[in-house]
Amino acid sequence: MAKEKIQIEVNGESVTLEVEPNEVLVDVLRRDLKLTGTKVGCREGECGACSVILNGKVVPSCLIPVMKADGGKVTTIEGLREDGGLHPLQKAFVEKGAVQCGFCTPGMILSAKNLLDENPEPSIEEIKVAISGVLCRCTGYQKIIQAIQSASKIIRGEEG
Amino acid sequence: MEKEIRKLYWSKKLYWERYFQPQTIDEALTILEEFRGQAHIIAGGTDLLPQLRKKELELKALVDITCIGGLDEIKLEDGLIKIGALVTHNQIAQSSLIREKALTLSEGASQVGSPQIRNLGTVVGNIVSGQPGADTAIPLLSLNAMVKVLSKGGERMIPLTEFFIDTGRTAINRNQEIVTEISFPPLKEEEASAYLRLARRKALALPILATSVVISANLKKRVFNYARITLGPVAPIPFRAKEAEKVLVSAPIKEEVIKEASQRAVQESNPRSSLLRGSEEYRKTMVGVFVERGIRKAIERLEAKNG
Repeated sequence: MAKEKIQIEVNGESVTLEVEPNEVLVDVLRRDLKLTGTKVGCREGECGACSVILNGKVVPSCLIPVMKADGGKVTTIEGLREDGGLHPLQKAFVEKGAVQCGFCTPGMILSAKNLLDENPEPSIEEIKVAISGVLCRCTGYQKIIQAIQSASKIIRGEEG
Repeated sequence: MEKEIRKLYWSKKLYWERYFQPQTIDEALTILEEFRGQAHIIAGGTDLLPQLRKKELELKALVDITCIGGLDEIKLEDGLIKIGALVTHNQIAQSSLIREKALTLSEGASQVGSPQIRNLGTVVGNIVSGQPGADTAIPLLSLNAMVKVLSKGGERMIPLTEFFIDTGRTAINRNQEIVTEISFPPLKEEEASAYLRLARRKALALPILATSVVISANLKKRVFNYARITLGPVAPIPFRAKEAEKVLVSAPIKEEVIKEASQRAVQESNPRSSLLRGSEEYRKTMVGVFVERGIRKAIERLEAKNG
């Protein structure tokens, strides 16, 4: 198959890639860019493990033909790093025990980031809706919700 | 058997060969025609990609319409609310115009899939997929929506009530036509609506049943003027429960009337027993419960609006 040249801004860096036009974004991120923080679960948009932020919106990267991302901006879990350290959401997930097996964590954190970017002070209900697209089989969700609440306070400067 | 296994274990590879990103509808139509059924329009892709992975569909080319300008707007124009082909479920869910003038659609769109799916999937795509439990099709039917279809031959308008033919089949020819817009009149002063849905979970679960109710009533005289009630997925396609609607025409707003209408809706529905969605008996019983609740909720909202 003829390869196509595309350009994507991934975690703030512009990359040019040669891809086959029948690939989906998650495979290109993991194989070509070695960004394996993004997980592959169901490959049909149901589990949320492959969630990334594309042009400001959290989306399942298993449902994005890579050609759709041409010219776009992608943020993966690796792109959350701030000043060489962890993002407040990442720290809160660690501190609150919101990570168990870790497979859902990147999708959870990116869903939470997308929420906090649009709504810095969400209610518990709003948090539940925001993470409803990511399945977690370990934590029972409670610690995840607490971690997001805690991170939202830290980002707003109420705790630190 | 092999097909069943394929359904369980997705193929890792997707098999289209060409991916087109046309800038105009005309260009997209030309590509569709060239491939004679071997090409498919893709917008959000939330239905299409899983279908391709399961090999329910095998295609040579995808025609991505997301680069075409002017299709991503919700607007009020010539007395109609118009939704372009690229408007996503989340755009609908966040629109104050839709919340104020078509609440049932806002409620439907905000319950599709998950936030991730709602960021990608489009309302028009939801209609074109032709599924009986489509969370936006059910409200749109009760809003008297019209579907605008473009082809090389020109433009045609199809009432949504004539759009659904069978599960997965609609009145458009996907090899020659593109749905560019869906439109409907905003709810009037004396109208109110509600969308109710029953599912196993709150996210990422197809509905066991769903109903959308639009009522028009004169609250001073305590009478209904008319109602539009739609149901899904309790038949091969989403449909208007016309017999239930008839009961409400010029009828007094009374418990017996509401109960009578909901029982007619039960008779009109024809769900199958399903391991996923429950037994026929259960689903029929729940149709009655949900239509009743839907009518009451719409009345409450009308009272709140006028009170």
